[in-house]
Amino acid sequence: MRIAQLPLSVREIVKPLGRMVVFVVGAGALFSAVMILLALLFKGSAADLQLIEYMDVGILPYTISILPQVLIDGVTLGFVYAAIALGYTMVYGVLEFINFAHSEIFAIGAFAGVEFLLFMERLGILSGATGLFAYILLVMAVLAGMMASGTAAVIVERTAYRPLRNAPRIVPLISAIGVSFILQDLIRLVESLTSGQFHRIFPTFGPFDDRVSLFSFDMKMGPVDVDIQVKSIVVIVAAVLMLVGLNYIVNATRIGKAIRAVAQDRSSASLMGVYVNGVIAFTFLLGGALGGAAGVLYALKFTRIDPFIGFFPGMKAFTAAVLGGIGNLTGALLGGIVLGMLESFAGAYLTTFTMGAMGAEYKDIIAFAILILILIFRPSGLLGEQVSQKA
Amino acid sequence: MAENENLLVTTNVVKRFGGLTAVNKMNFNIERGRIFSIIGPNGAGKTTFFNTISGIYRADEGSIEFKGKQIGKMSPDRITAQRIARTFQNIRLFSSMTVVENIMIGSHTVLKQTPLEILLRLRRFKDEEKKAELKAEELMEYVGVHGMGNELACNLPYGAQRRVEIARALAAQPELLLLDEPTAGMNPNESEDALLLFQRLRDDLGIAILLIEHDMRVVMKVSERITVMDYGEKIAEGLPKEIAANPKVIEAYLGRGAASGLST
Amino acid sequence: MKESMRESIAKIAKRLNTGRAPYIVSGVLIVVGTLLVYMSPRSILAFLVFATSGAMVYFLKMNKTVKLALAVFIAVILVPILGARNIFYLEVIFQIAVFAALALGLNIVVGFSGILNLGYVAFYAVGAYLWGFFGSQQAFLLHEIPGTAPLNTPFLMAPEWFYIFVFLGIIVAAFVGLILGLPVLRVRGDYLAIVTLGFGEVVRQLVNNLDKPLNLTNGPQGITPIQRPPMPKGLVDAFNSMVSPLVGNQVTESQFYNIVFYFIALVVVILAIIVTARLDDSKIGRAWTAIREDELAASAMGIPANKMKLVAFAVGASFAGGMGVIFAASRTFVSPDSFNFMQSIGVLTMVILGGIGSIPGVIIGAAVVIILNLQVLQSFSLYLTQLRQSEAVIPIINFAWKNLSTQLDPAKYQRLLFGLILVLMMIYRPAGLLPAARRKRELKGNAENDALKASKDAAKEKSNG
Repeated sequence: MRIAQLPLSVREIVKPLGRMVVFVVGAGALFSAVMILLALLFKGSAADLQLIEYMDVGILPYTISILPQVLIDGVTLGFVYAAIALGYTMVYGVLEFINFAHSEIFAIGAFAGVEFLLFMERLGILSGATGLFAYILLVMAVLAGMMASGTAAVIVERTAYRPLRNAPRIVPLISAIGVSFILQDLIRLVESLTSGQFHRIFPTFGPFDDRVSLFSFDMKMGPVDVDIQVKSIVVIVAAVLMLVGLNYIVNATRIGKAIRAVAQDRSSASLMGVYVNGVIAFTFLLGGALGGAAGVLYALKFTRIDPFIGFFPGMKAFTAAVLGGIGNLTGALLGGIVLGMLESFAGAYLTTFTMGAMGAEYKDIIAFAILILILIFRPSGLLGEQVSQKA
Repeated sequence: MAENENLLVTTNVVKRFGGLTAVNKMNFNIERGRIFSIIGPNGAGKTTFFNTISGIYRADEGSIEFKGKQIGKMSPDRITAQRIARTFQNIRLFSSMTVVENIMIGSHTVLKQTPLEILLRLRRFKDEEKKAELKAEELMEYVGVHGMGNELACNLPYGAQRRVEIARALAAQPELLLLDEPTAGMNPNESEDALLLFQRLRDDLGIAILLIEHDMRVVMKVSERITVMDYGEKIAEGLPKEIAANPKVIEAYLGRGAASGLST
Repeated sequence: MKESMRESIAKIAKRLNTGRAPYIVSGVLIVVGTLLVYMSPRSILAFLVFATSGAMVYFLKMNKTVKLALAVFIAVILVPILGARNIFYLEVIFQIAVFAALALGLNIVVGFSGILNLGYVAFYAVGAYLWGFFGSQQAFLLHEIPGTAPLNTPFLMAPEWFYIFVFLGIIVAAFVGLILGLPVLRVRGDYLAIVTLGFGEVVRQLVNNLDKPLNLTNGPQGITPIQRPPMPKGLVDAFNSMVSPLVGNQVTESQFYNIVFYFIALVVVILAIIVTARLDDSKIGRAWTAIREDELAASAMGIPANKMKLVAFAVGASFAGGMGVIFAASRTFVSPDSFNFMQSIGVLTMVILGGIGSIPGVIIGAAVVIILNLQVLQSFSLYLTQLRQSEAVIPIINFAWKNLSTQLDPAKYQRLLFGLILVLMMIYRPAGLLPAARRKRELKGNAENDALKASKDAAKEKSNG
């Protein structure tokens, strides 16, 4: 195969990009097909009639008209979940441990980024920021988030997890839950002490809220414009960079090899001279930093943050990690995209198809239901789990 | 009850793990009230075979019959209820419980306590508890750990722990006892006591015993029949004298060509 | 140095615990505690002394009849009287009772069988919403939008049904536990925990969203009013005539309900303790402990692991269901907010703090967490408010207290409290404050052993003295 002949470093960039394209296109096509099929089945049903009555459009054209937007939202959301999922999956792959506190690491990143930008706003720097400078500021915010989260993750590992490394699995899990709660209230405490309020809003600046028109197509009911916000493009690009970057580090560098060795067989790796504690700390640093970056991106997209924003995205990202196959980076990617699509489709279409019986709030229930079903019926996930190989 | 009645019969049992065939077409039988041993080099599949009989693994092919019943698809707890009990290679006592409680757990399938009786502390519950306690004491004396009843199981010396494990298995009132390397880690005196215990179990209680053993002195002295496994297959079976002289057996342990260098 | 200090404390403790001393100690504590609470009803220290006196009755070595008498005296006579003096105390004690029962239930699942259930609060919600639905007007409001209940809507059931519903709550919750457990309990350890978390959240979301198409739960606004069991006429007056001369004020009917519910909760807790203790000391309890320690070995001993885990799950759920009904009636109001993840973790914290698998442990754990939560954090909050209103300043950094944001309210920092307890306990004392001790049985063999030990000790003392 031609791909196999490329040098390792190039290969490890092309492969994940290729997978991303396949997953996005595949998932998008699958979900769209299912939705259109459902719309066809529902033609003539009560839902169809109600829609015609209220909005003067049948269920099939309605479905098609909002489909592109739903797909775009799904991809954006999917990449955010994938980025958060990486932290869970890496730690599980190396330690067979669910880092319950990763959701708060994500939240810490969001707050660090937002506070940085608010600080810039107070200095008056933000108001004049346009074009390239705005992007530079955003990158700095992401870096701030990554540093804060990475540091937090390493500290947490050292204080709350390492002493428990040889205890039965339930013990560090309980500790992780405790850490998660502590961090939530610590964020609250710090925010209360410094700014006096803990709902923070991502400041507006730069071109991020602008909408870029992609294409439009004509339907019987009129032209449908499909556009995408600049911030969504930023989120997708950033997430892609992170995913490719992490994949590169894990598969094409020496430290990555050490991580994989520790993941497969900790004692043998140690015997071969790998400094296991350091590798584990580095894994947390990497996973944490990515979670932090995802946090800033989340704040960019969804604007409002509070100390408890970690819980739902965290749980959903964990679901994504398991869905794809825990311990498996590609799996995190696939799981994230599938889950993002699912949530976007459910949020957009549920109300219409059930005539208001189940609203958009049910999308959270769906995510949890998937989590439960996967863990019961297929815990190894779609692509199979990759954890320790010793008995 | 015929002396030579077959208690357990396995026919063509195969167990695979991925590409590795750990047990390959094992045909095996144990007769009531006899002590049989399985020996073989490390990795021969002896413990896997045990685990397949006791239900921890399910055989991929073949059948296992106990007293005429097919037990191949049963879960471990149901197999114990059929009166097959076992011990483990690495001692698996319940370390946070006392010796008496460990043995009483062995009686789980024998004790008759319904939830209602337990909650209302009815007569029958108290009687059954007393019975279990007395039985446990009796078994402690029988295996020789008298007086340590209220000690936590993990605090006992190694040899005593092994004997408690046997007592615990006996509490299930088995007709067949599977012992996985019961004398591992014992010194010669302890091994001698252990093998006397096995003989007493057979003679006093009529229990059939299947041993996996590495200690050849014990195996030779106590076994009525020895089966040798290598690479998951039976390579020899017979009386101790026959096995000791069997060139295939010697080869399995010492390597190719070793047999030719030894005089029979 | 540490060793000798520990030894001398142990010696003093032992001295206080032998012969007449415990009677004196507990008597003094009870009297002092009662007086303190009586004189300064708002003081937390007084409450703590009183609570400790109650605990001492349990822990000190005294004649069983005396212990029982003291316990009954405190629970049935002292508490209601002191509660009449300061109704807030009764609220705290009621919460301790409720959460003690919940902790006992979770203890069966986590402590005895080793199943980490992170969604335990779902069973509590089942019980609460059961009475919440049947004991309120909700059945007639199925087609109404939340908040638009017409006046004069009838209640579905007469309030006397409350007592029956306590039993129904137990049964329904056990049933839900069975249904939940069947698919779920074969999942392995840490994944199982996450699945239970998922279920807890799903239940809460459902309860939050089942206000359309049929308005079953009235959504985020919750259901109110919910009926309380009827009060016999004249009971309040009789109570007041006995108690108000002692206490100095009259109790209203509404306040008297607090006392009634305290007694109901007390009865349930006592039942829970009895059930748990009896199950523990039987073949079921031993099977659970075996499963927790080593599931494989347990099944090799003939224990049907899945079935036993299911039983543990259902029994644990039933405690929560029963208490849920009581909770709904005592508050006359239920809403989805009371049944979130933090509450599940709160109960878990109590079990872990007290001691996994230990009955007195989890009760103490419940008491400690509730007291910390309701009283200590509260008083911290009040103290800060006082500081804010004063001109005081933090010395080294010269920060004036009144500049401290009003958002900073310690009473709301339960998460920090729970989290710290969980992490610290896991690292330093995973067995809990009062770890479960295995029962020492009466065995003939041990009589010899004890005699041997006794003679050894005697010989040692002789050589020392």
